Amino acid sequence: MRPPESRRPTGQHGKGWQRLGEYAGPLSCAVGLVIVIGCYALRQPLILSPFGLTSLANVSVALALAAVGQSIVLLAAGLDLSIGGQITLINCVAATTMGNSGFSIAAVVVVSLLIGLGTGFVNGVVIAYGRVEPLIATFCTAFIFTGMALIILPRPGGSIPDGFAFALTESWGPLPFSLILLAGAVLVVWVPVFGSPLGRYIVAVGDDAESARVSGLPVRRIELASYMLAGLFAAVAALFLAAETTSGDPSIGEIYTLNSLAAAVLGGVSLSGGRGTVIGPILGSFVLAIIMNALGVFDVSAFWQDFIEGLILMVVLGLGGLRLLAAGNWLTLFHQ
Amino acid sequence: MNIASIGAATSSPLARLSLAHRRVLFSYVILLAVYAACIAVNREFLSWSTLRLQLVQAAFIGIIAIGETFAILIGQIDLSVPWTITLSAILGSNLAVQYDAQWVAFAVVIGVGIAVGLLNTLGVFVLRVHSLIWTLSVNLLLQGVALIYTNAVAPTTRMPSVARFLALGNVGDLPVAFLVWAFCGALAIVALRTLPFGRYVYAIGNRQAAALLSGVRLGRMHAIVFIVSALGSAFVGLLLSGYSSQAYLGMGNDYAMPSVAAVVIGGTQLIGGQGGYVGSIAGALIVVLLQAMLITLNVSEGAREMVFGGLLLTLAFLFIRRSR
Repeated sequence: MRPPESRRPTGQHGKGWQRLGEYAGPLSCAVGLVIVIGCYALRQPLILSPFGLTSLANVSVALALAAVGQSIVLLAAGLDLSIGGQITLINCVAATTMGNSGFSIAAVVVVSLLIGLGTGFVNGVVIAYGRVEPLIATFCTAFIFTGMALIILPRPGGSIPDGFAFALTESWGPLPFSLILLAGAVLVVWVPVFGSPLGRYIVAVGDDAESARVSGLPVRRIELASYMLAGLFAAVAALFLAAETTSGDPSIGEIYTLNSLAAAVLGGVSLSGGRGTVIGPILGSFVLAIIMNALGVFDVSAFWQDFIEGLILMVVLGLGGLRLLAAGNWLTLFHQ
Repeated sequence: MNIASIGAATSSPLARLSLAHRRVLFSYVILLAVYAACIAVNREFLSWSTLRLQLVQAAFIGIIAIGETFAILIGQIDLSVPWTITLSAILGSNLAVQYDAQWVAFAVVIGVGIAVGLLNTLGVFVLRVHSLIWTLSVNLLLQGVALIYTNAVAPTTRMPSVARFLALGNVGDLPVAFLVWAFCGALAIVALRTLPFGRYVYAIGNRQAAALLSGVRLGRMHAIVFIVSALGSAFVGLLLSGYSSQAYLGMGNDYAMPSVAAVVIGGTQLIGGQGGYVGSIAGALIVVLLQAMLITLNVSEGAREMVFGGLLLTLAFLFIRRSR
């Protein structure tokens, strides 16, 4: 039996260890990323050239944006299964309306971001004020968003002007514009939000909604804000995907629901709320996206891709649980 | 029920029911309302031939919903349904043709069910990964297995006749699939209400630590629940292969979330510990009737998805809100 003050496995170590424990997700993702890129480079050295790095960034940034949005909702102990649906809807809107003039591009970007806030608002209202379970609510809204996308664009098509595509997917020397977009989105949205009381409130609500309510926090408005922020990140991801594929596709967002959840969990964001960083899900997304991209380079047959993707997800998720097998007392597991 | 609510209960008969009973009652009220709406849209829903079709469809969702109800009651969820269905259907029909024996299809159902159930238990219970994300990953893995298998062996077009009988056959006026569902559903209700298994399920869902300290074998219970769930999906795979006379990639894609929706509309709480299978039966019928109604409306795929999502959301909002 452990002494009572060490109910959490990290409790028996000093404060430094505790802080390190909080960053276990991001740290292991960073190590994983180095290994993955290392293996990739051994097989295909060109990947370390500016062009190679840009392509690696380009395949990862959409997932990273989606995962950051997902993480905001997870931090508030919510869940967004409609991230993929939102990405699909905004991608289709952007691809059908963007036109070619500077003004129309700017207008469509603004409108897309507003749609993202709007879809997030719908989720937030239904969950925070309508009191519907996040799982079932966002499952339903995902149908609504995908349905709208199918009405706007029944089959892949639309067009994206070259200028817009270049602006998001090319690079400046070794620095890919897509990474600048990701950093910009984090600096403009995540950093101010989580530097402000709102960010601390989101974490407080996620940690224990009832305590937050008793402490006088406007829990419903905070939950609403978390879904709107997720919608905003989904909109940026959708615009980036539009630039990357230079078209719209009513099924483009499907994979982002599971993958954004997986990336967030890999990056150490807790599915039960209140714990997580921003760098974790970003690194997690890069690891996942680059592994999936690398399968092609390693002559893996397309038929094996899903199997290997699933296996990698399970192994990586399972590794996090292995240390729990060493727990001395079963009851410690329930305090996680 | 606490003392205050007993005092208040004398006023209306509805309030005398416990919250759990009221939720189940609500799900049947919704069922009646949805059925009335179906009739208003199309008189065909009054005919037995149309209803028979809906009962068969509801049997598919309902059989999956048995395991899903158990999983949700212990506070987990099983989203590995779609490719469990597909894998069992493709493997079952192919191997049954190859060995020229009907029982092979059942052996495949049992094999796939136990394997997937144990895999889910490994991640959710042993490694303590959140079931939502672990079962989705397992689903992806199974999709990979199905792809690799169909790449190596072309799917057969000859379905085992037992699958066709189970999915399309009739006993008197009743479809066999419906009778199978009724039998399995009755077993599920009896198991939850009268057997120790049911008490353990509710105990785990209410507080796992307390269940552990009371001597409930958590690992065994998780394994049973996930194996039952995977067996149900694998069995529905066999039924579906008989129903559509083919086994194809992606055939199970539309069965995971509708069965979760059926359980939730049936009044089972997603946090676990409250609810039961009686409501899930109504939930399965509701989901199937909604889908059928939208198909008869003859609108585009996009509009159909929108209306389905919107209607389900409205039902969830009206009847199964979280308290707080």
